[in-house]
Amino acid sequence: MSDSTNPSKSRDVAIRIADQLGEAGVKLVASLPDNWISELIREIDGDARFRHVPVNREESAIGLCAGAYMGGMGSAALMGASGFMTTIYAMTKINYSYEIPLLMLITLRGALGDHHKHHVSNGLYLKPVMDAISVPYLVIDKPADIPEIGRAYHHSRTYSRPTIVALTRDLLR
Amino acid sequence: MKYVDCFKYLASRRTDELVITSAGNSGQAWWTTTRDSDKTFYLDASMSLSTLFASGMACALPKQKFWAFMGDGAFCMNPGMLMVERQLKLPNMVHLLVSNRAYGATSNASLPNGMENDYGAIARSFGIERVFVFDNLKDLSRDFDKVMGRNVDAYTFVVLEVEPFTDAEQRLEQPPFDGPELKYRFGRTLEQMAGIDIFGYRI
Repeated sequence: MSDSTNPSKSRDVAIRIADQLGEAGVKLVASLPDNWISELIREIDGDARFRHVPVNREESAIGLCAGAYMGGMGSAALMGASGFMTTIYAMTKINYSYEIPLLMLITLRGALGDHHKHHVSNGLYLKPVMDAISVPYLVIDKPADIPEIGRAYHHSRTYSRPTIVALTRDLLR
Repeated sequence: MKYVDCFKYLASRRTDELVITSAGNSGQAWWTTTRDSDKTFYLDASMSLSTLFASGMACALPKQKFWAFMGDGAFCMNPGMLMVERQLKLPNMVHLLVSNRAYGATSNASLPNGMENDYGAIARSFGIERVFVFDNLKDLSRDFDKVMGRNVDAYTFVVLEVEPFTDAEQRLEQPPFDGPELKYRFGRTLEQMAGIDIFGYRI
């Protein structure tokens, strides 16, 4: 089965997500790629509202965004599901220990619609891991729900811990 | 050079820089030297994220200068951080790599390839231009103004070659703060210094 895209739809979704981030007050976005969010990363990179920082590994995004928060700058971390799975220590150590908010946008890899066998591990363990660390998360799988991203950002500020928005293939591709 | 002596010297030259320490020895040494509870963020055991944490703040506050300590144990876990720092090239940021050639926070356990790692060369290989290596206080004090004095506006990477903590130094007091206390002490100070709103909450 192919992982084909609808470029027009992907672009429209990317613009709407970027708008949500901008309206919420996000000014710094740290990212690592995943094919599903490549259009979103391009959109953010070209959007003057954001300082886009490609990082070397997902944990680096955690450190950078935590610092941006402590400097009074809104931020978000954008990454794939596999990358998120590598951040558990950094997130629980920094964001949980110091109660530092963070909005993370991740891909819901391994779920229905993902054609890649190498994401079986994420299908099995991504949601259980998020449940295990008690991080609030919501799944967005249709454009009408994109405004929830802004609410998730503000919830992280209220809750003083991370919140996660998991984006599905149906939404992004 | 002696670890704590190096920190005492840096503390004596500090003006209005905000300081981020890494886990273990650098936090102990800076706390022992300064007892600073407002303008230093003692980041505990982030395993390589202290300088990126500082970089996030430096992005947000371009008029404020930051010194960020990192042990070489943490550095070895994520040397690619320098790619990000080079890319950001923040003029208000000094990365101070404290090289004791050991995992200092874990009783000086062996560091892989410990004595052979050339941290200055690693930094230069990523394209970082301002790289300085000091292994004695005399050179550090001679060059301090040129390297990281208050008039320097350029991203700077400094390697401080120090002796590992002695057994007695390992027992130096750890900064006695819980996470949220530190967040608010540091953050409230920053709000006043920079006139920003970090913790504001509006319905």
